[in-house]
Amino acid sequence: MNDIGEFTLMVALATSLYGAVAYVMSARGNRIDLYLSADKIPLITWACVMISSIALWKALFANDFSLQYVYAYSNIELDYFYKFSSFWGGQKGSLLFWTLLLSTYTLVVHFQNRKKSLIVVPYAMAIMLGITVFFLVLLNFSTNPFERIPLPPEDGRGLNPMLQNYWMVIHPPTLYLGYVGFTVPFAFAMAGLITKNLDDGWIRLTRKWTIVSWFFLCMGNLFGASWAYVELGWGGYWAWDPVENAAFMPLIVSTAYLHSVMIQEKKDMMKVWNMSLVLLTFVMTIFGTFITRSGLIQSVHTFDEATLGYYFLGFLFFIIAVCSVMIVWRLPLLKSKNELDSFLSREASFLFNNLLLLGIGFATFWGTIFPIISEAVRGVKITVGPPFYNQVNVPIGLALLALIGIGPVIAWRRATWSNLKKNFQKPVAVALFGGAALYPVLPLSNRSEIYTYIAFILCIFVMSTILLEFFKGTIARRDSHEATTVAALGSLIWHNKRRYGGYIVHIGVVMIYAGIAASQSYGTHIEKRVKTGDTIEINDYMLRYEKLAAVQATSVKTRIIAQLAVEKDGRRIWTARPEKEFYKGQKQPVSEVDVRSTLASDLYVILADFSEDDSATIKVYYNPMVSWLWMGGWVIALGTIVCAWPDRLEQRRRLERLKRQEIVFSPAQE
Amino acid sequence: MNISFIHFIELLLIVGIIVVVGIPLFGKLPRTRPFAEVDPLEEAFKHLLVRKEEVLLAIKELEIDLKTDKVSNEDYESLRQKLEGEAIIILEQIDALEKDKRKGGKSSAKNLLLA
Repeated sequence: MNDIGEFTLMVALATSLYGAVAYVMSARGNRIDLYLSADKIPLITWACVMISSIALWKALFANDFSLQYVYAYSNIELDYFYKFSSFWGGQKGSLLFWTLLLSTYTLVVHFQNRKKSLIVVPYAMAIMLGITVFFLVLLNFSTNPFERIPLPPEDGRGLNPMLQNYWMVIHPPTLYLGYVGFTVPFAFAMAGLITKNLDDGWIRLTRKWTIVSWFFLCMGNLFGASWAYVELGWGGYWAWDPVENAAFMPLIVSTAYLHSVMIQEKKDMMKVWNMSLVLLTFVMTIFGTFITRSGLIQSVHTFDEATLGYYFLGFLFFIIAVCSVMIVWRLPLLKSKNELDSFLSREASFLFNNLLLLGIGFATFWGTIFPIISEAVRGVKITVGPPFYNQVNVPIGLALLALIGIGPVIAWRRATWSNLKKNFQKPVAVALFGGAALYPVLPLSNRSEIYTYIAFILCIFVMSTILLEFFKGTIARRDSHEATTVAALGSLIWHNKRRYGGYIVHIGVVMIYAGIAASQSYGTHIEKRVKTGDTIEINDYMLRYEKLAAVQATSVKTRIIAQLAVEKDGRRIWTARPEKEFYKGQKQPVSEVDVRSTLASDLYVILADFSEDDSATIKVYYNPMVSWLWMGGWVIALGTIVCAWPDRLEQRRRLERLKRQEIVFSPAQE
Repeated sequence: MNISFIHFIELLLIVGIIVVVGIPLFGKLPRTRPFAEVDPLEEAFKHLLVRKEEVLLAIKELEIDLKTDKVSNEDYESLRQKLEGEAIIILEQIDALEKDKRKGGKSSAKNLLLA
């Protein structure tokens, strides 16, 4: 099976290369024979990559240590669950997984558009296949997952214990679904540039792809934060690590694109800007991959054998050069005839939102690449840590939060001060009232706490504006349609999915802001060496150390578990069992924290160290409102489903458009 | 698995792919073109239909903005007039294009679009 897996990788390379060339030639020469021939390629390439993937999975499940990859990332004792996820645990497998997703997306795009006979489609398919070629070249000639070991060992090294977590099965695929998904809008944007189809057709064709990719990227970031929180054992969830930044930057740029594209759809303007943003999003996904796989930047997330830097750097420069040339070349066609009606309008607020998002994106990019530049220029490696990012991104983030609240209140096209005053009165009053109520409760002794206080006031303001939007819309609909309030709310959302789905997403974002603000400023922690019966006090909690136990979980894993009774107001409310896990063949043990999560706070307990006399060093973190981050993620998921739900009215409009177009331009009338 | 059997499977796969991909290249095909020539007028027509929808949606949204107190009555009136003006121009361009296509000419529609 390994031979076949390796062979099909080579076949996939040959077919995707042929497909890319054949699609372009069929479009340029308008040749049906080439088009029908190329038309078979997406399925063949996908099937070949799928066979290779199945072969690797089979080798992992069958403990075939003749494969270097299986030896490096699995062993006999490894749980099947993790054998499955070992597929993307190392660089070679993760590249194959990326290629599998890319070929699957290419196949779906092919099936979606095969009957549309649009000239952009063959070019978009060629671009997607071209990108597949790049990954297949790497897999075939640089990081072959089917590389053999001449004398196969009896057992493997096993998967890094830190990766033996259920998030390993969820986080990387989610993130990759987002990363790879942005290839589709990129391909259609480039195809639009090549074929001069520069109206918003390519935007409409890829709107759902953009929303879904954004959603996966967003969830991928949140899942990654959640994984870091429970696995890395330092009490936090985000450290502005270069690889975290690499996933954050495309999310930020694509968020800017999702907003500004609405202006193009509504007003037929900002074509250059939107084109640049969609291309930049894709560039950022490749940059992120470069960061993870170059070995240039040290991070807990980079791959062990990160050696692909030059390939990705070359690919990155090639894409940037092509995109820049194409945009400059088509600049006359991208110029808009329309302009903003007023700077006091929702369009203008979207523009500011874009500037702020790109500001955050640029600061993050600069902080990420600065160590590389510093080392290259001065020979000194400087680490850019959280203080830099917090200093720059927090104020911009707060301004962005304010805009989330301001946007819905301002009318499209033009607003007047008197109406703004009228519409802002209630949310501002609620926010000020909330601020006044919080003032005596919240400490304001340093900059971080002041920022948090401002963030809370803004969160209240934004929530008020959004809820008021729902309220006003529901009342207006109820009165005009003579419906019940609940029915009016339902139909309001149903008939304006993008608008109200977007508002639901914003509610999720506000929850995330609140969670970040509270946990970053008001968290406390304590570290104490304890013997049996000793207590640790933190906030309202008292933790009593009860015992230490050793459990031989499997033949390769030993668990050392500390047990602590957690009391509040003299009553036992929880038993914390943080542990250290020792894996055979691994020098360092892995901490498994125990967390009690409530809406108000998380109690996060770590077994930092222990001795043979059963004494232990226990670290306890009190992290307020961390659960709001994860809840915010689910609210974002709900909002995205509403936004992406098929709109029958829009489909009907599209069909009517096509029908009318056919009537006027049918061959019979030519 | 036996090496020769694997080679046989690989050979079968290659032959299969060559046949599937090659049939359209060497078989008999209808003399149709996969992509219609890009007609600038058709593209413009398509664009106008989309713009028409967007302007009508903008009028609908403007009404919602009025109902939810986001625009003043004066702004509503002036914006509505502006949008209706845009809609009229678009509808005229669509009509002109349709009429011209029926007559088989392109010039006046083209002039209208250029204007």
